[in-house]
Amino acid sequence: MTDTAQSTDLKLQVDRRGFLKGCTMVAAALGISEAMIPKLVEAATSAQRPPVIWLHFQECTGCTESLLRASHPDIGRLILDIISLDYHETVMAAAGHQAEKSLHDTLDKYAGKFLCVVEGAIPTKDKGIYCKIAGRTAVDILAEVAPKAAAIIAIGSCATYGGIQAAEPNPTGAKGVQDLVSGTPVINIPGCPPNPISFMGTVLHYLTFNRLPVTDNLGRPLFAYGRRIHDHCERRAHFDEGRFAEEFGDFGHRNGYCLYKVGCKGPETFSNCPSARFNDVDVWPVSVGHGCIGCTEPNFWDTMTPFYERLPNVKIPGIGTVTDIDSAGKTILGVAAAAVGIHAAIGIGKKVIKGCGCKNETKES
Amino acid sequence: MIYEEKHVWSILLRLYHWSLVIALIALTVTGFYINAPWTQTTLEGTGLYPVQTMRNIHGLAGYLFTAAILARLFLLLFGNRQERIMSMLPLTRRNFRNMINAVRAYLYMHDDYTEVRLGHNILAGTSYILTFIIALFQITSGFYLRLPENTFWQNWGVTFFGNQQYARFIHHLLMWYFIIFTVVHLYLVIWNELKHRDGLISSILSGNKFRLRKLK
Repeated sequence: MTDTAQSTDLKLQVDRRGFLKGCTMVAAALGISEAMIPKLVEAATSAQRPPVIWLHFQECTGCTESLLRASHPDIGRLILDIISLDYHETVMAAAGHQAEKSLHDTLDKYAGKFLCVVEGAIPTKDKGIYCKIAGRTAVDILAEVAPKAAAIIAIGSCATYGGIQAAEPNPTGAKGVQDLVSGTPVINIPGCPPNPISFMGTVLHYLTFNRLPVTDNLGRPLFAYGRRIHDHCERRAHFDEGRFAEEFGDFGHRNGYCLYKVGCKGPETFSNCPSARFNDVDVWPVSVGHGCIGCTEPNFWDTMTPFYERLPNVKIPGIGTVTDIDSAGKTILGVAAAAVGIHAAIGIGKKVIKGCGCKNETKES
Repeated sequence: MIYEEKHVWSILLRLYHWSLVIALIALTVTGFYINAPWTQTTLEGTGLYPVQTMRNIHGLAGYLFTAAILARLFLLLFGNRQERIMSMLPLTRRNFRNMINAVRAYLYMHDDYTEVRLGHNILAGTSYILTFIIALFQITSGFYLRLPENTFWQNWGVTFFGNQQYARFIHHLLMWYFIIFTVVHLYLVIWNELKHRDGLISSILSGNKFRLRKLK
């Protein structure tokens, strides 16, 4: 580690060893050959650092936090080292008019060349008045910046699919970047927060190969979101073998069994969490005994809840949540069975009263 | 009264029907298990793989189900007169009248269920077409869940369901449709068998129905 307890200032430089380590980590995450690492290094050290405008909209800054406070200093600093972060409200020194000037200078000087990173959803209802920066709405800012950017990286679940702001009933009409931008390539790095390595991999891929990585049809790079968590989870053997935590704190839970029955959304979620892991101490939710909540999937606040149940509850539009799915199914089955019974009873009753025998029925065709 | 034997259901349709029965039973049983598997063991190193086995059976039955539905699709287009889509939907005046007639008969509004068709009555036919469409959704969600990294199923899955969790939800909900369909189907088959002695139940085994010969 290059960081020491003595260094208190935000040191933006990283030594060569840490730099190479970071590049190697990113290469591993990207799934590219080690022979490509020199190219990554070359791209990362090239004189032209790509200018980056980092826009914050409706969000909690958790994505920036996870990026900067990664216990592994190499990644966070590598990012700050290889890109020229011209506008980032959280870490920039400038404030007020200076900050806005910096934004517009970059827009003018590097039009069509800079990378735009968007963190947070964009409220569109009521002309977007629910999120304003420097007197302008998020919609306006994005509309000004997006067409001039070379590419847009939407970081976090809010910027990609709207996040918690867009959850039912979505009072501010929040939307993700991809719903509002056309013409400029958008890549999604969802997660709440996403792994910094996925963001880093995307940036380095762009710098090295001069194009964005291949994505799935939800706009997520395949190197990070190409595989289902359940299929490469360290607890998968317990699943196949029928060893489950029935509830939190029971024997199975304490023994690290599969969290399927306490609502783990690993079988529904695509991410590299089990392999990339977080915070340089090799942890991720499932490894510490909490099921995945599916934060990299679209609208996960609506579709992945309740977090501790396997399936969503049945909702009827206008009425709201009614019941869980199997109770609903049993109820309808009961109604159907009752209808069948009543129907049969009427038929029998009618026959008893009328004495109609169908054998004597004459048919013509 | 003289009855004559008429060929109604081709061998492929009968195979389709019974494949569907086997597939639906296997899929429902294993499906419930997969949704809520019980803790099989707390011993480690046993090598029983119950969940994996159930998932394998579910997948196998899923392929059988898909094959059956594809066979039905073929028959809808190229089957015999009773099996084709146009003799199942209320799209002609005659078929529409038959449907109204069937509804009224099922509601005990009249007893002379006069127009005896060789094939399905139109109410049944329409419900089978609905079931066919629901089966297509079931297949799409099933393959999307099973082969999540396959681009083809991913495209359809994301288009119809948004994400895997919602596909799973719909998949589970539609399973309940098939359970309820089975209950209603069995009841109405028995009901019709008792009303009309044309050998409805045996026709799905033998392929033949009986109908009254016209007396002149």
